[in-house]
Amino acid sequence: MIAEILKAYNEAVFETDKEAAFEVVEAALAAGLRAEEVVFKVVIPAVEEMMSSITKDPDANLAQHFMTAQIAAEVTERMLQRFAHPPAILGRVVIGTAAGDLHSLGKRIVMGCLKALMVEVVDLGVNVPAERFVEAALEHDAQVIAVSAMMVHTATSEQGARAVRRILDERGLSNRIKLVVGGAPYRFDNELYKIVGGDGWAADGITAGRIIIHLIRDVKSEQNGQNEQNKQHEEREHDPA
Amino acid sequence: MTPLEILTAAIRGESAPRIPIFCNLLDQGARELGMGQRDYYRRGEQVAEGQLRMNRRYGYDNLWSLFYVGKEAEFFGCREILFADDGSPNVADFVVKEWDDIARLELPEDITRHPAWEESATCLKILRAEAGETHPICAYLTASTSLPALLMGMERWLELLLTGPADLRDHLLTLCSDFFRQQVAAYRAAGANVLLYSTPFSTPYFIGKQRFERFAMPWMERDLAPGGVEGIVYYCGMAPFNEVIPQVIEQLGIGIHYLSPLADLAEAKGSIEQRLVGQNRLTCGVIDDIQLIRWNREQIRAEVQRICQIGIPGGRPGSHFLFGTGVMPMAIPEPNIRLLLEAAFEFGRVS
Repeated sequence: MIAEILKAYNEAVFETDKEAAFEVVEAALAAGLRAEEVVFKVVIPAVEEMMSSITKDPDANLAQHFMTAQIAAEVTERMLQRFAHPPAILGRVVIGTAAGDLHSLGKRIVMGCLKALMVEVVDLGVNVPAERFVEAALEHDAQVIAVSAMMVHTATSEQGARAVRRILDERGLSNRIKLVVGGAPYRFDNELYKIVGGDGWAADGITAGRIIIHLIRDVKSEQNGQNEQNKQHEEREHDPA
Repeated sequence: MTPLEILTAAIRGESAPRIPIFCNLLDQGARELGMGQRDYYRRGEQVAEGQLRMNRRYGYDNLWSLFYVGKEAEFFGCREILFADDGSPNVADFVVKEWDDIARLELPEDITRHPAWEESATCLKILRAEAGETHPICAYLTASTSLPALLMGMERWLELLLTGPADLRDHLLTLCSDFFRQQVAAYRAAGANVLLYSTPFSTPYFIGKQRFERFAMPWMERDLAPGGVEGIVYYCGMAPFNEVIPQVIEQLGIGIHYLSPLADLAEAKGSIEQRLVGQNRLTCGVIDDIQLIRWNREQIRAEVQRICQIGIPGGRPGSHFLFGTGVMPMAIPEPNIRLLLEAAFEFGRVS
């Protein structure tokens, strides 16, 4: 049954038909699927399917990315209210557009995708000062800062991602908070993300979800390793032998 | 030959000493005049002077009458543009904040009497007087399917386009299409002869091929119907559109295509050539100018050479080809602009 539901849901998303996607979800619930199953066996696999289809399907387009993310986020939000237990959150991301940049489409696609993938998103909006990104990441204990920029000057500006990088480095936060960048200029120069100090970049909003999850896992594994080292250190200090 | 004659020869496939070379140094005009952008774009005289100086300094073929892309939103009531001295201005005040605002939008009865037109008209008048006989004068016009992004933001427009009420969407598009029709007529009357039809939302990259055919094509036909396609250049804001070139030629009758730097240039040129044998046509090969920020001399020359070799195979005349740039970022070092154009003039020679 799940395979059929997933197929119908994927078709609706591919056609960017939001109503049809919701109908598939309602029908699945009526047929006895639990809210958890809708999210983990339908919505998340559909987002992952879109991630892999982007590289294979020449007709995968921005409208599909947008609707995939919006539908996934809305379905997930609705289903979370019906979950028996709150789900485990993968991590937390602070997102916004670079200082001077008012383009929010890419950010919205990334946010929708991340929400469906069980990543908490703190949206700082548009035209965000670099300091605000770092403050918010610390305040919310986020593993990743995501800076979107649609124009070359906002992508490369000393007030944008470069400034976030500088603050993270100066404050010794680079292992604790990773910086990911995205937007049109990075598609035209695939090395640009390194120049502005990004730890990663994505060519589109959907694959950004994958990159961000990898970075969250990196930070967490580094933190776990650090915690383990601290624990061993403490144990050695307390061991009289 | 003058730049205008070289462009005309390229479109007709007639012989000329070189291909046309277009370079888009818009915001650099403010720097040239030692002004901040807010001040620079306030007066048509200044924009004309900035463009003429850039053109004289580098010797490329085109002249721009464009101030900034968001200027079109001012005709609909936009009151705030975010200027930056290191890059392009942005619309900071979307006139459509909620879908309900669409019903309140008003199109000026005659855009040439609107204050937003006044300075553009001044700029065009100067350009025409100074160089209209010798240089192509470019105007930038946003298609009906893309103009809503300047009025409400890309995100809200995509949402309305994909999920909103069809009557509301069509009302907005009708207004935008009527605006386009007025604007293209006004630019033609004022002497612009290269009319960049900017239509990024009408690309498979944005909306997929099916929606391109069913949704975008009828609106583009409506935009272009009264004035025809003389001087119209199909341009998608750097988004690739190779796969719809056949429809653009066959249904819209547009034979001049300003391609994406990400496009397969040889494929696009082949597609245009195949469909317009013996007719006026022009393939505009565009360099990825973001890379010019950090490329060295050898990299710049190699890329210009690559593009020109595809565009003018064997350096033969009658290649129906133009070498162009995107909107050159302010961050490109001045020596790289020179290197780019030197290479374009060298590799763009026709024997």
